[in-house]
Amino acid sequence: MKRYVCPVCGYVYDGAKGARDAAPGTAWADVPDQWKCPRCGAAKVKFAPEEPAAPGDKAAVRSAEESMTDGARSALCSNLARGCGKQYLPEEAALFTELAEFFAAAAGPAGGADPAALLARVQEDLESGLPAAKAAAEAAGDRGAQRALVWAEKVTRIQRSLLTRYQKQGDELLKDKNVYVCTICGFIAVADAPPALCPVCKAPDWQFAKVEGR
Amino acid sequence: MYAVRNLRLCTKDCLCLFVCPTGATDTENSVIDREKCTGCGLCAQACPSKAITMVPEQMPPQQPKKEAVAAALRALAESKTGQEQAAASLPGALASALARSDRVMAEDLLRESGYMLPQSANVRAALQAMLAAPPREGFPREAAQKLLDTLPFNEP
Repeated sequence: MKRYVCPVCGYVYDGAKGARDAAPGTAWADVPDQWKCPRCGAAKVKFAPEEPAAPGDKAAVRSAEESMTDGARSALCSNLARGCGKQYLPEEAALFTELAEFFAAAAGPAGGADPAALLARVQEDLESGLPAAKAAAEAAGDRGAQRALVWAEKVTRIQRSLLTRYQKQGDELLKDKNVYVCTICGFIAVADAPPALCPVCKAPDWQFAKVEGR
Repeated sequence: MYAVRNLRLCTKDCLCLFVCPTGATDTENSVIDREKCTGCGLCAQACPSKAITMVPEQMPPQQPKKEAVAAALRALAESKTGQEQAAASLPGALASALARSDRVMAEDLLRESGYMLPQSANVRAALQAMLAAPPREGFPREAAQKLLDTLPFNEP
């Protein structure tokens, strides 16, 4: 029996199982017209036949962790800790934080870095990494990925601007100023106080963290 | 569904105490008692500060990702975490800020690469892979195992 997918939330109607007023075994054609998506309420007419997933797509995404470096694993786990925090799951958040800290310690700070080398890597992201990812996200019509990449591009530009100014001005750049980082998108503000709204992601000022030097 | 209170937003108007039919919101630590909460949603509707949210028992599955997109996002996240480690070895507040900023971007990029929900099958696969072949000595196995045991995974 062909399955039908909700274009809004991704819910899959499986005739064998039925859903809501449609009893198990109800073919799509026999589902009443006023039937709605049981998950999000979208109308039946919006549903489209399920397209077979590109072979290997799911499996490739699923095994991605195995090829990650410790640094990326740490960010993966700290991201999941934040996700658990937002769902009010403090114990799970603490466990993911423990994993994130383990991987961060394993990755360790890289030696031999200097601001000029860092600027070159920022520049490379702007010239190749970001455009490549944006093209892939656009081709796939992936709005979430495009949103993340718009933020990342803006924040990377701010990083480039600050590193360029730092090369010219040195520590004068930060004199009598505080440094704040938006904990939602990564925007960096060098100012007396954090902005009322983040200029990149529009998060309020209390989402900014004040950063001290070592 | 069950109710949770965001203490940062709560202004102690206490309307939740008046409307809760089971007394679940009346606790000494301000955390709504999940055992007593029936999920009726009255407290969330009554709260003048919108400090109470209804959370589903089971999250819907996250949006599927195309491998081409996920791979590009992962590559960028790797670049950002590499820069985070480089910045972390430099002195000064700007370097600290860059490291923090790189971490936030890497988290967001990885989230969009198929790791949005902690309850997703991708996260389960990642935790299982870590346990099957611990990436490093001293890997906190108990933490990974506990997550596998307690997270309500929502995909086959």
